[in-house]
Amino acid sequence: MTVLNHADFAAIDTPLPSRAEVAAMVSLAARTVAPLWPLESAIAVNPLSGFEDLGFDEAVARAARRFGARDHMALGTWRRLLQAGRIDAGALRDAAIAVLGGIDAAFSPIGPDLSPLDLLMARLIDLPASPAPAAAPLPADAAFVAKWCAAFFDQGMAASPMPHRDLGLYRAVLALAAHDRDYRALTGSIGRRLLLSVPRDPHDAIAEGLIMLGVPAADQVDYLATLVARLPGWAGHIRWRSDHAEPSDRAGAPAGMADLIALWVLLERARAGRVPMADMPIPDADADADADADADAVGTALLGHFHLAPAMLAALQPEQRARWHQIVTMSENALGRIYMTAAETGLRNDLVRRLRGAVRHDPPVSRADAQLVFCIDVRSEPFRRAIEAQGAYETLGYAGFFGLPIARAGDGAGGRRERLLPVLLAPQHDLMTVPAQGQTAAAEHACAAAARRSATTRVFDQAKQGLATAFATAEATGPLAGAVMAMRTFAPRLARRLGATLTPPADPLLAPCITGFTLAEKLGYARLLFRLTGLSPATARLVVLAGHSGAAVNNPYAAALDCGACGGHPGGFNARVLATLLNDPEVRTGLAAQDFALPETTVFIAAEHNTTTDAVTVFDRDAVPASHQADLAALERDLARAGTINRQLRAHQLGRSADDLLTAAVNWAEVRPEWGLSGNAAFVVGPRWLSRDCDLGARAFLHSYDWRDDADGTVLAMILTAPMVVAQWINCQYLFSTIDNHAYGSGDKTTQNVIGRIGVVQGNGGDLRVGLPRQSLFADDGTPWHVPQRLLTVVLAPFDRVEAVIGANDILMRLFGKGWVQLVVIDPHTGKALRWATDDETSQTSETPNTNSENQP
Amino acid sequence: MTTPAASNADFASLTLHRLKKIEIIVHAADQRPVEDLLHVAGIGGWTMIRDVAGVGHSGFHQARSIFNDQTGLVMFLGVGEAPAIARIARGLARLFETLPGVTFLSDVEVMRSDYFARSEPDRV
Repeated sequence: MTVLNHADFAAIDTPLPSRAEVAAMVSLAARTVAPLWPLESAIAVNPLSGFEDLGFDEAVARAARRFGARDHMALGTWRRLLQAGRIDAGALRDAAIAVLGGIDAAFSPIGPDLSPLDLLMARLIDLPASPAPAAAPLPADAAFVAKWCAAFFDQGMAASPMPHRDLGLYRAVLALAAHDRDYRALTGSIGRRLLLSVPRDPHDAIAEGLIMLGVPAADQVDYLATLVARLPGWAGHIRWRSDHAEPSDRAGAPAGMADLIALWVLLERARAGRVPMADMPIPDADADADADADADAVGTALLGHFHLAPAMLAALQPEQRARWHQIVTMSENALGRIYMTAAETGLRNDLVRRLRGAVRHDPPVSRADAQLVFCIDVRSEPFRRAIEAQGAYETLGYAGFFGLPIARAGDGAGGRRERLLPVLLAPQHDLMTVPAQGQTAAAEHACAAAARRSATTRVFDQAKQGLATAFATAEATGPLAGAVMAMRTFAPRLARRLGATLTPPADPLLAPCITGFTLAEKLGYARLLFRLTGLSPATARLVVLAGHSGAAVNNPYAAALDCGACGGHPGGFNARVLATLLNDPEVRTGLAAQDFALPETTVFIAAEHNTTTDAVTVFDRDAVPASHQADLAALERDLARAGTINRQLRAHQLGRSADDLLTAAVNWAEVRPEWGLSGNAAFVVGPRWLSRDCDLGARAFLHSYDWRDDADGTVLAMILTAPMVVAQWINCQYLFSTIDNHAYGSGDKTTQNVIGRIGVVQGNGGDLRVGLPRQSLFADDGTPWHVPQRLLTVVLAPFDRVEAVIGANDILMRLFGKGWVQLVVIDPHTGKALRWATDDETSQTSETPNTNSENQP
Repeated sequence: MTTPAASNADFASLTLHRLKKIEIIVHAADQRPVEDLLHVAGIGGWTMIRDVAGVGHSGFHQARSIFNDQTGLVMFLGVGEAPAIARIARGLARLFETLPGVTFLSDVEVMRSDYFARSEPDRV
């Protein structure tokens, strides 16, 4: 078929983009920003996910230009980490030598007793660092768009909903903008005329705007991406609505990225009509001149630092002069990159050395009194060490949704459906809840109390916001509200106890209703636990499946402390589902029929580790047979001891008392109830004996894996393409939020406001903030708790198996090849470790294909 | 189809209508842009086949991983009037400047032309 002979296809080269072309360009432009989940199910995402097709360094540089962000953490902040001993000085020196081109180049004399390395180390450590630039205020046009986004996307928080929302964001704003003083100030008479003449469909409006603005066809996607990046928070919210939200979240207020872009195009057309194109400022026009001035200043500072006369520069040989020039023109972003390399190599060398040490010894074989399966979350690692120290306990790591593609139907908190699985997956089962065994009366009482409280809150909120009722409500309830506020402030634990008495928590009293699974599905989910973790069917008397959750009050980021694998929700529900399945006699019989019989004496127990208080809640204890109650009691005593040990450890890291952490969990003024996943840096795939003797400092995701049960690499592929991908998102969110907390993070918690029940803004408006707040990453004195570095994945498996798995999965080729995740593979037979070379490294050496690796020190 | 339907005795009793068919294969992670494009182009519907595997320029493309719906390939199959399929092709040309993927266009005959009638383009 000759396509171009057909009349309908002949117009492909026409300069006016069609609606379908615009839709394609909008889709591509939308990828500039990552989806931004609402607060109630906060999901960590890489804010640079739209740049992952590029190598890491190029992606960071391009994103920095697009979002007006830093490339790397400020030099002064890195120095704080060096002074605190959290960056290895030797690793920093090695990284500097590598940047200079190796030992010969780094030590070739550049003056009397002066080497390029001396100069670079002085820049890294001693010379004054530039002060951090103040955050620029939001431009007026961005504030205008952000204001209407906030009004349009409100989820019932506003007292007066925005009219015309059913028309969509773009058309609704068109209908109202003529009455908006900000719009008139921004656009003048041209703006009024445009409101009457622009197409009402956002795609048509974009197509027309591109032509009217004279954007060349080759630049159109990039131009639209620039518009999307002006408000990455609201654009991210739109991506979430389009790609991940429930239909009910979008009902009555349709909006896509085309709406947002069409608004921007409207403003740009008005601006182009008011300001001649020749008069528009050209960004970075003076960048070269500034760079030269900076280099001169750095050169002068270096001369002063080493007590050298300026005349020595004139005496430099050409090669020495080139070295000098290389060092004085190096930007502080480039110096920050050297620090990050040092952080990464320091961790890699240390971690791999310790793990290789374990490989050289035969793995211990012992019978456990109980086995405990925790989420791979980095906060599980110190708790696992603590419980292992209490007795004959074996612990394993598994993705915290326990392999269950489930959602909790809308009887949960707020009546909303909760997706209890990674966002990489779609739910296949919607589960209801029923009163747990032996808890019928208590569950009914708790649910009734929760319903009363919910109704009371709703009435109170409506009365508080109503024009006619606001003052009367304040008069009537003020004294009581004041007393409650005083108690919450000065006696938060008492307030929580009273609250729990009035409204007992319903969740522990409600059990998942295990219907809708076929026997084959039940058996599949049951077998998956063993297959992915390497857990032997010769199980102990008790096998605990422990999800996790955080505890925080009045904290918009509370969901960020819950389980990421469970879609930003507590993990106990999933643990209860899998424990119920594994205790099901029909499942046990089915497993035996598959020649995978579990001991009749094994009982599976669901639990939830509270990562803020380190308390472990055991669910459905009435379902535990009498024969195992003594085992459970002993285990709970040890879990309590482990919790105390871990809480003390964490309290020390937070600089407060262990008892104070219990207060932090219920204090509505608390800005840092725990460090969360701050510090995350590694993802270890292997059996527990590989890391059991290492204190990994809550910095490693630990996924259990036994290469001996995975001859074709299927299990390893599953681990690397899903749990590791989620870990990489988390790692990148923490990394970039720390590098530039203004552009990629959400700033200071104390000046944030929740808006529309969907996110936070700084102050009283502006863009929806992405990323993590400053208090989750930095200590009060400004020293980062989180060291920004890329995820290091370590796999214990034969080299060829890992290589085959990566070669067959594009996502792994990209993440490892482009340098988003670093990979070290330890051979289980020899203990030899190899590092996966990035595409850039292999193209430089070109002697080996990408699938080969280079030696790890 | 190289033989006209009317001349084929096997099809003589059927009323067939000529339409265009488009087949699109992209990475599962790129499913959404294609869906948006199909919505805007206004064809009546399409079929999507998830979990497609195959061999391409960069070797064998693994099927979907059990824990990640965004891995592997997906295939779209749509049938419609030529103008609608042309609109899709134009949009795909833009998409494929950046995203990997392949598309095939062909003539087909269907029995129920109303089944493939143009729909009102959706909001995206």
